[in-house]
Amino acid sequence: DNYDNDGDGITAKKYSRDFLIKFSEQCTDLPEDFEISADIAEAVMSANFNSSHIVERDSY
Amino acid sequence: SRQSTAAVVHQPHPLEHSWTFWFDNPSAKSKQAAWGSSIRPIYTFSTVEEFWSIYNNIHHPSKLTVGADFHCFKYKIEPKWEDPICANGGKWTTIFQKGKSDTSWLYTLLALIGEQFDNGDEICGAVVNVRARQDKIALWTKNASNEAAQLSIGKQWKELLDYNETIGFIIHEDAKKLDRGAKDRYKA
Repeated sequence: DNYDNDGDGITAKKYSRDFLIKFSEQCTDLPEDFEISADIAEAVMSANFNSSHIVERDSY
Repeated sequence: SRQSTAAVVHQPHPLEHSWTFWFDNPSAKSKQAAWGSSIRPIYTFSTVEEFWSIYNNIHHPSKLTVGADFHCFKYKIEPKWEDPICANGGKWTTIFQKGKSDTSWLYTLLALIGEQFDNGDEICGAVVNVRARQDKIALWTKNASNEAAQLSIGKQWKELLDYNETIGFIIHEDAKKLDRGAKDRYKA
């Protein structure tokens, strides 16, 4: 239904904006493996994110 | 598939491409001289659900500090002129009043990850530049000499954003040589 089939049996994963937006409210937690270095966390992350994802080391 | 609500929650929806968010704040560089280049990858995602998990926890353009650049590029393409895939490309740019780019940024991201462009293979990624007086969103593409593909992308992007001003396409090679003197190669 949400996939377009190009006739060759190859499925191009096309999703409309309306379809994608339906998933927004279900996905509020960061991925478990997400890490952000402490020096840019404040600049990048919104206020209420879970700070257990902050790492002290530089990402390089 | 009417009973699909529960299934939808549990089965991730794979994207056609993996995408990487990158953050850069060149104006902060002086404080952190040791960084060298200040651009850094934030996270690479490959499903609809991962996209939202990140997007819902990061600042949107109106909350980023002045000078910040936030990128979303196909995995393994670096948002730099020097990247081998970007090197022969260029970019379309839309301009917004200060703090008014959030919706267009989201719609641009959704069009990219949802593969809404007819010439999607030509796309490298998108960047939002937060500046003192305005926000800019640019869409980077690969083969600047492919006029038909670039015009198609520019026109489709304007429709997706409901953006009515004329937009210009600048070739990276011109921007490198001429900086701000680079002229629009195409208009849409």
